[in-house]
Amino acid sequence: MDCGTCETAPTIEVIQPKVVDVSLTITEKAIEMLTDAFGDDRSHALLVGVLSGGCSGYMYDLQIVESTDIDCQEIEVSGFRVLVPNASSHLLDGIEVDYVDRLMGGGFKINNPNASSSCGCGESFA
Amino acid sequence: MGMIQLDAYVLLVSGQDRYSFLDGLSTNKVDCSCSTVLTTTNAKIIDVLDVIEVGENLAVVGYGPYKEAVLNHLQPRILQQDVTIRDITSINNVYVSTEEPHQQQGLTISQSYLGWLVVASVKNPLKGTMSEAEFTDYRTRQLIPYPEFEISPNVHPFNCGLHHLVHEAKGCYIGQEVLTRMRSRDKMGKQLVQVPSGAQDATSNGTEFALAIRRI
Repeated sequence: MDCGTCETAPTIEVIQPKVVDVSLTITEKAIEMLTDAFGDDRSHALLVGVLSGGCSGYMYDLQIVESTDIDCQEIEVSGFRVLVPNASSHLLDGIEVDYVDRLMGGGFKINNPNASSSCGCGESFA
Repeated sequence: MGMIQLDAYVLLVSGQDRYSFLDGLSTNKVDCSCSTVLTTTNAKIIDVLDVIEVGENLAVVGYGPYKEAVLNHLQPRILQQDVTIRDITSINNVYVSTEEPHQQQGLTISQSYLGWLVVASVKNPLKGTMSEAEFTDYRTRQLIPYPEFEISPNVHPFNCGLHHLVHEAKGCYIGQEVLTRMRSRDKMGKQLVQVPSGAQDATSNGTEFALAIRRI
């Protein structure tokens, strides 16, 4: 294989979607759970991102982070710092972060008005 | 039997997330060189890919005419992952060999669902030793599907003899819900079968055998 010149081969242009100023909401139940997780420490932030994969093509990625190298926009919601990567902002504008309390399939849930479909477990969407 | 040049594209996928990116979008477990299938949410085939480890990169080889569909599928899904895709089709030729070729400098050789895949620089082209008819004959004997004959956007991997490229235990990927349901209910629809040459519904005709997709 010709890899001597691979590095000079043009990179496939990635379609960069427009960066959207994200607005999102967090339900009371989710705020309760975040308060439990964060305690009094507000130096950390909730990162809400999207990765490729999952049954429907896009998969939610929730993390508690102190900082990140990812290019993000920061929003404050109910006293919590929320980071949203600009690369996936078009997929996350208008979402609601909820918490579902049940024995099976419980945990944080994202209600996303941009999703045309989602997989059975709710972790991925299209 | 020999070697034949394929109508194929070669993409070079780089970056720390190269394995997880391809693994999350295709049917087989991509943690080393392997063949895998990109499918839609309805589990219909976009293309069958051969993923080959090349140093710190992955070379992705697929069927030439399906390149745009593959890029349209992959591009919007590079979000915050560390993944870069380069198109190196124009500087490489792709061949398939029915027997394991001798290792030579400049050749990238990998086992594929088609046989042995060989990628060589266009500066050092290899000599084809097998005609298209001989390649079809080889495929019909070995029950190997090929794009536009058995593999198309109208079928899912179970229809065209690619069961072995659908990993049973890996996590989610696009089309997984449909394929897992079909497999668990043992309702996989039509199957790729070997039939006598000249069969009316043959998708590929060899000298002795043909391939057909039939409900069995």
